Amino acid sequence: VTRCVAGLAEVEMAELYVKPGNKERGWNDPPQFSYGLQTLAGGPKRTPLTKRVAAPQDGSPRVPTSQTSPGIPPVGPPPPLSKGSRPPPVGSCPASGVEPINFPVIESETLLEDVLKPLEEALEDCRGHTKKQVCDDISRRLALLREQWAGGKLSVPVRKRMALLVRELSSHQWDAADDIHRSLMVDHVTEVSQWMVGVKRLIAEKRNLSSEEEADEEKSTATVEENQMAPGVQEAP
Amino acid sequence: MATYLEFIQQNEERDGVRFSWNVWPSSRLEATRMVVPLACLLTPLKERPDLPPVQYEPVLCSRTTCRAILNPLWSSDLSREVNGEILTCQVDYRAKLWACNFCFQRNQFPPVYTCISEVNQPAELMPQFSTIEYVIQRGAQYPLIFLYVVDTCLEEDDLQALKESLQMSLSLLPPDALVGLITFGRMVQVHELSCERISKSYVFRGTKDLTAKQIQDMLGLTKPAMPMQQARPGQPQEQPLVSSRFLQPVHKIDMNLTDLLGELQRDPWPVTQGKRPLRSTGVALSIAVGLLEGTFPNTGARIMLFTGGPPTQGPGMVVGDELKVPIRSWHDIEKDNARFMKKATKHYEMLANRTATNGHCIDIYACALDQTGLLEMKCCANLTGGHMVMGDSFNTSLFKQTFQKIFSKDFNGDFRMAFGATLEVKTSRELKVAGAIGPCVSLNVKGPCVSENELGVGGTSQWKICGLDPTSTLGIYFEVVSQHNAPVPQGGRGAIQYVTRYQHSSTQRRIRVTTIARNWADAQSQLRHIEAAFDQEAAAVLMARLGVFRAESEEGPDVLRWLDRQLIRLCQKFGQYNKEDPTSFRLSDSFSLYPQFMFHLRRSPFLQVFNNSPDESSYYRHHFARQDLTQSLIMIQPILYSYSFHGPPEPVLLDSSSILADRILLMDTFFQIVIYLGETIVQWRKAGYQDMPEYENFRHLLQAPLDDAQEILQARFPMPRYINTEHGGSQARFLLSKVNPSQTHNNLYAWGQETGAPILTDDVSLQVFVDHLKKLAVSSAC
Repeated sequence: VTRCVAGLAEVEMAELYVKPGNKERGWNDPPQFSYGLQTLAGGPKRTPLTKRVAAPQDGSPRVPTSQTSPGIPPVGPPPPLSKGSRPPPVGSCPASGVEPINFPVIESETLLEDVLKPLEEALEDCRGHTKKQVCDDISRRLALLREQWAGGKLSVPVRKRMALLVRELSSHQWDAADDIHRSLMVDHVTEVSQWMVGVKRLIAEKRNLSSEEEADEEKSTATVEENQMAPGVQEAP
Repeated sequence: MATYLEFIQQNEERDGVRFSWNVWPSSRLEATRMVVPLACLLTPLKERPDLPPVQYEPVLCSRTTCRAILNPLWSSDLSREVNGEILTCQVDYRAKLWACNFCFQRNQFPPVYTCISEVNQPAELMPQFSTIEYVIQRGAQYPLIFLYVVDTCLEEDDLQALKESLQMSLSLLPPDALVGLITFGRMVQVHELSCERISKSYVFRGTKDLTAKQIQDMLGLTKPAMPMQQARPGQPQEQPLVSSRFLQPVHKIDMNLTDLLGELQRDPWPVTQGKRPLRSTGVALSIAVGLLEGTFPNTGARIMLFTGGPPTQGPGMVVGDELKVPIRSWHDIEKDNARFMKKATKHYEMLANRTATNGHCIDIYACALDQTGLLEMKCCANLTGGHMVMGDSFNTSLFKQTFQKIFSKDFNGDFRMAFGATLEVKTSRELKVAGAIGPCVSLNVKGPCVSENELGVGGTSQWKICGLDPTSTLGIYFEVVSQHNAPVPQGGRGAIQYVTRYQHSSTQRRIRVTTIARNWADAQSQLRHIEAAFDQEAAAVLMARLGVFRAESEEGPDVLRWLDRQLIRLCQKFGQYNKEDPTSFRLSDSFSLYPQFMFHLRRSPFLQVFNNSPDESSYYRHHFARQDLTQSLIMIQPILYSYSFHGPPEPVLLDSSSILADRILLMDTFFQIVIYLGETIVQWRKAGYQDMPEYENFRHLLQAPLDDAQEILQARFPMPRYINTEHGGSQARFLLSKVNPSQTHNNLYAWGQETGAPILTDDVSLQVFVDHLKKLAVSSAC
């Protein structure tokens, strides 16, 4: 069930776009798909284009079934839209995925403190539970994030998605937060690679901490229950 | 079951198996007369979202030479006479006995099966579980291991892009996976990973090969006991403690490794004018192999080699450092003028075999404009089931996305990778297994079902596949051994069981078992049955794999002649014709596409090396020997779709007559996606009709093939090149070189009508090829 939720989160949280490949460095470089589109690809597919036509047995090519329409001279205009009787020449399914899908985006400017403060608070929570050196390492990276953000080096999508990440982190949606971190690493690695690993670690440490707390709570409730039951119930040793 | 086509498709979906023949000729002699061998394409770990694994272990036949696994075949047969003994049923529910359908041994069910009955069957006896997967609960589970071996002799922006991709990959790896880092240039550095801020590394000279023992001594790996003995008793669930300083869990060292990667510099040794950088790939790989051999034998591990040029020093060097001496070409190889090739190949083969023995795999990511030595290094990926990726630069979408796809997940959220598999093939008595072709090595297990005649890698009934994914596909070849005078009884079936034991990406040990059966038929009286059950697509791919396998060791023209001879013999056997009358020649529907597959295969880069470098040939062949049937067939005969105002997109002949002025074509050759705009379309686009609202349909027409191409790109591994071209464009050559040249400058006017595009070539067209084929097939001289 949790997987399902994470899956849904993936879809909603990720950016969906295609950008052209690096034609300067790669000959006929293919376009690049965002993390969101790559993870979406696991979903239902249109029929794959894998059909072939058999050559006639004498090996000679058939005259194509539909010839150039006689009414249109070769260099005339394409058939205008008004000739509406024709089936639309779209691909095997309407173009989805290519056009950006409008998910609710936070329109207002994301503020540095709104992102950094919860992260720093989360780090404070971890202190005492997590090794000092790890906390210091995370802290160093948060400082780097602050510096780059304040220096105007982070793009709008990165800032917005960091706000989303922090929201998920604050509401203990560890999988969702982790997934946003992954999408940022895949889509914006140049911008985020230096400090993102600190955020990643923070998510992991915070998750550990909360599962420990839960376990403790359970244990304490269990002890209480046991104590309450103890007098009446005889248990096998 | 309405048609054989449906039967074939259903079997592929359920069992991941496609056979060349789906009704089997019942004697050795008749089977050899069928020309195309009895063989199958097997995708051992085909994705089955509808098949949850069972959480217990399989029941084995008690005969030590058999050990086949209990399965649903024949469970409905009421009786079966074997050596005069009547088995009333495969399963006797009252006596709790089952008879093995491979050796006919009677077996007692294990105690936990006491409550089974006709109405309370275990899953493995139900007909829908001809393929079933078991999860093995025993044994220690080890985390997956990823060892990065990184070339630092790269241009600045290439190295930067690679560093970022590697940092990114730390976010995609499972958190408890172990990672390690080796970098190389003139020297080889093995980096110690720790949570401390001080980075330490061990430096090796790149010119001297070291034995596994030496490497382990120098890295101090010999002393500590095996990790599993350190695990505390009573806590089997806990991950074994890992003592290696070179391989650490991602979640522990991700921050420091990110820094370490970020601080990587280009190889500091100066490279003078006219020289190649000194690159010690051979020693770096050797150290990587030795490191894993000493620390984690027989547990899933990937060595991932990222290189930006050829090895230029030490063992495994492919070319010297003088730039004026170019790297070997096919021409050099033919003239026996490739100085380093044999010695380098030997070095990498030694490493590949050791890696396979350890159950690890080696990926090669080679990004450079010139060759990088894939020809010499190919065995590292081919024998271990590793990936081979070839690109121009690490700073391309082709590399970045291909690399990301390695870490893609399936419907369950599990990584699409499996490790350390052994594939065992068991056959019923009338069959023997002759060999396999795919990303595997022989385990040299002899036995009663192993044929003496080898096709591919033979002489064994078991193979090791160190790295595989849900599409990895092997060709497996069989031999019918029943004698001619002792035909198989009518209605009898032959059976094959495939047992794949592997490490799942969740680190569980699993066993996938597929058991299939096909009917025998007497080829003299029932040839039509056999013919109708011919799977020409599977047959084409299986024959092509044999051809490509031969091409690795034989001269190109010899392979083509062999393929031609097989095709002629097949047409003689299954064509309908009057002797000496080519015009009377006909093939039935189940064979009709086969000649054109062979025609395109002959022209393909898998058999023709013209216009390809040795590295490119190695790359193409690598992928051909592991893809599933659909992808392999695309490689043999590319797919061509046509988009026009005359209707929805339709598949068209891969023929120059399909290149029409008012069409857009989309061609998929597996390695390239080509979009080609016809002459009129180009003019319309130049005139800007797509921007006018009243010609919105033209805009849609231009967009449709782009959308379909994206769909293909997203699903394809590795990422193909993407070519957008048009009539008269220089890159139209990719289309023109693939289509059948039915119209050339030689015969253009003979066709009377000017449709299609004449190709400037002297290549033989499909028509001429088929004419010759008919002549030879009907000739009594052959």
